[in-house]
Amino acid sequence: MSHMINPLATPEQLYQRRSFGALPTELQDAIFFSTQCLTQAAGLLLQLPQSVTAQANVLLARYWLVEPMMSYEFSDISAASVYLTAKLSPYPRSPRDVALVYNYLLSPSSTFFSPVPSEESPPPPPSNIPSDYYLPEHLYNSFHTRLLKCEARILYSLSFDTHVSLPHPLAITYLQALDFLNTSKSTISKRTLAYLNTALLSPQMLYLTSQPNALAVAAIYNAAKDVGAKMPECEWWEVFDVDREELGFLVVGMRSVEGWGRKMREDVERMRAETDRDKRGGMITRRDVEGELRRRGLSVGNGGHTGERSSEEEPVDMEAEMARRMDEKMAEIEGSA
Amino acid sequence: MTGKGKSRWADSAEDAALEAQLKKEKEEKKRLKAEKARKAEAERKKREEAEAATAAAQRQQQQQQHDDDVNGPPAKRRRLSTDRDAPQPQAAARVSSSNDSSKLLRFESAGGFGKCRSVENYDKLNDIEEGAYGWVARAREIETGKVVALKRLKIDPKDRSGLPVTGLREIQILKDCNHRNIVKLKEVVVGDDTRSIENIFIVLEFLEHDLKSILEDMPEPFLASEVKTLLLQLCSGISYLHSHYILHRDLKTSNLLLNNRGQLKIADFGMARYYVPDSSQQKLTQLVVTLWYRAPELLLGSSKYGPEIDMWSVGCIFGELLTREPLLQGKNEVDELTKIFELCGIPTDDSWPGFRRLPNARSLRLPSSTTAPTPSTKTLMRAKFPLLTSAGVSLLSSLLSLNPSRRPTASEMLEHEYFLQDPKPKNEAMFPTFPSKAGQERRRKRETPNAPQRGAQKEGGGGIDFGAVQLGGIFGSGREREERGGGFSLRMV
Repeated sequence: MSHMINPLATPEQLYQRRSFGALPTELQDAIFFSTQCLTQAAGLLLQLPQSVTAQANVLLARYWLVEPMMSYEFSDISAASVYLTAKLSPYPRSPRDVALVYNYLLSPSSTFFSPVPSEESPPPPPSNIPSDYYLPEHLYNSFHTRLLKCEARILYSLSFDTHVSLPHPLAITYLQALDFLNTSKSTISKRTLAYLNTALLSPQMLYLTSQPNALAVAAIYNAAKDVGAKMPECEWWEVFDVDREELGFLVVGMRSVEGWGRKMREDVERMRAETDRDKRGGMITRRDVEGELRRRGLSVGNGGHTGERSSEEEPVDMEAEMARRMDEKMAEIEGSA
Repeated sequence: MTGKGKSRWADSAEDAALEAQLKKEKEEKKRLKAEKARKAEAERKKREEAEAATAAAQRQQQQQQHDDDVNGPPAKRRRLSTDRDAPQPQAAARVSSSNDSSKLLRFESAGGFGKCRSVENYDKLNDIEEGAYGWVARAREIETGKVVALKRLKIDPKDRSGLPVTGLREIQILKDCNHRNIVKLKEVVVGDDTRSIENIFIVLEFLEHDLKSILEDMPEPFLASEVKTLLLQLCSGISYLHSHYILHRDLKTSNLLLNNRGQLKIADFGMARYYVPDSSQQKLTQLVVTLWYRAPELLLGSSKYGPEIDMWSVGCIFGELLTREPLLQGKNEVDELTKIFELCGIPTDDSWPGFRRLPNARSLRLPSSTTAPTPSTKTLMRAKFPLLTSAGVSLLSSLLSLNPSRRPTASEMLEHEYFLQDPKPKNEAMFPTFPSKAGQERRRKRETPNAPQRGAQKEGGGGIDFGAVQLGGIFGSGREREERGGGFSLRMV
């Protein structure tokens, strides 16, 4: 059974994250979103299968529930999680490959998180200036050192437990059991996997709060709705040991990621533009976040608790806070629908 | 019988009266019956009505539930904010109805995640082993007073690939395992300075002995009943591993631990890995398993192998338990193969179809089977182990089949008649005890060769293209590395 279940985040961990290092929630979300996207982009360039990259995403999310986000540079932690999961998988990648890929992704030549083209401003022609992403040996060495340090840090923070069960294979098995809901096999399977992959980016950290079977069922439910497939009329999710309550939560959670992600991109772009000193890639850094905090008049805490703010946050009722966030999300979804 | 007088049968007043009475009675009866029927009918109707009413109620209820379903989960979530205003009865009803409907399997046993604890939670008692393999010590957890084995993960600071993948795999596999014949990993702890993670210790349950040193020190070999107990435990542990898609890849007597209550546990998962059954694409390194326990297909350079290689090692361990001596002590790969063929006979195209296609088989000079008919494996085994029963000989020779597909699986082996025959396996609790070296003194240096070192032979040599030049490589120059052994192992007792 162990290959079907994951360790889950405790409510304390989820709550604690909100008071970690006095980072406002939307900043945490922006960091989370952009780093997870960076991890995915790196996985593609490193030609890793999604099963490996997705595990890296999950490990990274777990790590950030244990340690404050500002402890290490976001791109370094992302690189370490990819390096570590690849090493444990049948597709190991060398530190140099990882270094080159991240160096490219963070360079201005990469299109990672480049401004979304709109009608007024057509996308600039893609530039490819090799000197932008040339990696001198000394920079490689310092990256390598940081990579190994972050790798050890992630392992330490997770008690060396690198087990991740992904819902993707389960989803395919469930679809087979449901006879692909009598629709095109590839259409509904692709849509289902798309939901699962998108859920990796969710700020609700669905992979840390739900077991793979529930994620798989929710993704199938959403995909079936999208392609207009006819689902069984009974409570079919119970066959896969998911109750309605959880399914409902996940269905909404998964559907909300798209709109939320769009907003995040705007946030990230704005934040980066405001601290933009020289030309560079689209990924935000710790300096961007520190700049943003200064602009908001908040103290910059490097992971430590800053006195007044945390005492200010203490009395906030956890449930009320949760309810408020859910309502916001609902309003957002209804607004976009 | 006269026709004149009144017939005896003629109707008389009497008769008429009688008849009327009879008729009346009959009618009465009929009426009663009818009444009874009517009553019953009424009753039935009443019952039916009641039933219908309840059924209708049920239908209504179902309809309501159904409506809920049609609305679907999103709708329900959408109702969340109104729920807060008037939630209680509705919510309660829904909960109870969903409780009625089905029991769901809950996956909650996986626990959570969090930081490692510090090694300072343990008090070191004594070193168990120190050397090329790293450092293993007996220690006591301060909080609980429990004795454990601390194994330090050997990290080479010059190795720029980070934490050793073998160590990480070992930790993960041991974490995933839960079986009485597999050593338990309690946790992973680190040194106090957490700014750089350099000191990593695996906390394992402590067992007093390893089988190797017991065998070396025993004046008399194990009794047949004891051999059976040990083999059964070994086999049930391996059966667990294989059913969880784990290959151990370094089974040998020094990796089998024994406590003073006769319990055997498999340890040292430094070579272990998950495998994909029947996978034709997955290439595995053939540089695994300590030479003396290495299966012939590995020696012949096959990069596609499976649980059968562990079963070969079990065969070698079986032989060693009987004689207290490692069964096949080859000096190098070629010598090992020679010793295997001496014990098990020469492979033929019949006994092992396809072995000639294995990479290293090309350089084999085998006597042609037609000129010298080789005796069967069983005959050879019987000569080597004269005291073994015939069931034992059949088990051992099947484990040591040259053809991997002829070896029994671990679960098949558990059913073998050898374990059913007298003498029966000895109860673990009745096992003899031995003085524990790990408890007190430093272990002397081991003479068994070590498991091959990971990375000593890179994939280039491990591929299918295995020329004669490279053969010299593994058979010759690999020897020194072989002595040094893997960077990381788990022999703490």
